Amino acid sequence: MHEVSIAEGLLATAVNECKKSGYGRIEKVSIKIGKASGVMPEALLFAFDAMKSDTIAGAAVLDIEEVPLAGTCLTCKKDFETEESYLLCCPHCDSSSFKIISGRELDITELEVF
Amino acid sequence: MKLKVASKILGANDRLAEENRRIFTENNVYVINLMSSPGAGKTSLLESTIKALNGNLRIGVIEGDITGTDDAARIDRLGVPVVQINTGGACHLDANMIYETLGDLDLKGLDLLFIENVGNLVCPAEFKVGEDLKVMILSLTEGHDKPLKYPLMFQESAALLINKTDLKPYLDVDVEKIRKDALSLNPATKIFEVSCKTGQGIDDWTGWLRTLIS
Repeated sequence: MHEVSIAEGLLATAVNECKKSGYGRIEKVSIKIGKASGVMPEALLFAFDAMKSDTIAGAAVLDIEEVPLAGTCLTCKKDFETEESYLLCCPHCDSSSFKIISGRELDITELEVF
Repeated sequence: MKLKVASKILGANDRLAEENRRIFTENNVYVINLMSSPGAGKTSLLESTIKALNGNLRIGVIEGDITGTDDAARIDRLGVPVVQINTGGACHLDANMIYETLGDLDLKGLDLLFIENVGNLVCPAEFKVGEDLKVMILSLTEGHDKPLKYPLMFQESAALLINKTDLKPYLDVDVEKIRKDALSLNPATKIFEVSCKTGQGIDDWTGWLRTLIS
């Protein structure tokens, strides 16, 4: 629902990083989106393409890597990974006491710049 | 060439939220980001809270709505400082919108600032605005399935107010299920059952608020 705001933040950060390094054009933006981040990749791609046109990322491709939700159970101490977007209890022992290690990412990892 | 970066996409919002937070702390204002779906009772809760705490705490309110000033007018009638933000379509408040209003509030004259977010059970939970705490309301008429359908806000909120408890006899809603699911999503969340209509539970809530600020 707020993918436009996310795309706005994404473009601003990418343009800033590119200029900071002395380059003038962005060809590709690689990002990591956690499965539990609440962001829909298709909607983000649409928003990114709609908003990039008047920027130095006007021809840029957005490459999205989805990161599964993973964590460690504080009760049985086992690690887990799931394709679900949300987790209510440890898939091994049903304990609701666990720590999320990944799956909430909204990170830019790499830019291809010229 | 490939340029490795390690930036948060919402980094700009997070940095501005930190700046808001710094300004609030400097002025000794405790800030609560109040979230819920539309019609759950955010403004009614603020009215009840202001009435209960006025005289003890100096309260201010930032109202966030897509359009209109009805909520700000309700708060204004209680004689507390209020600023209305119209997001013009955006489904949530962000740190920049809050930053822009700070000049309109006398922060030094406040102990507690409520930021009433746009009515929406999804997006407001994603954007920090510089608050000390997130608090959410779920009204009984929304049904007991909401914690598991909209988990992020329940996970992010330090307190959950279950509002409209006066309607319980007329509804097929399982309050225990709301409690159980909310606690399994966020074991640390503090739950209050309230009715802004009858005043039930408001004292417990405002009592807890006072422990945060003293």
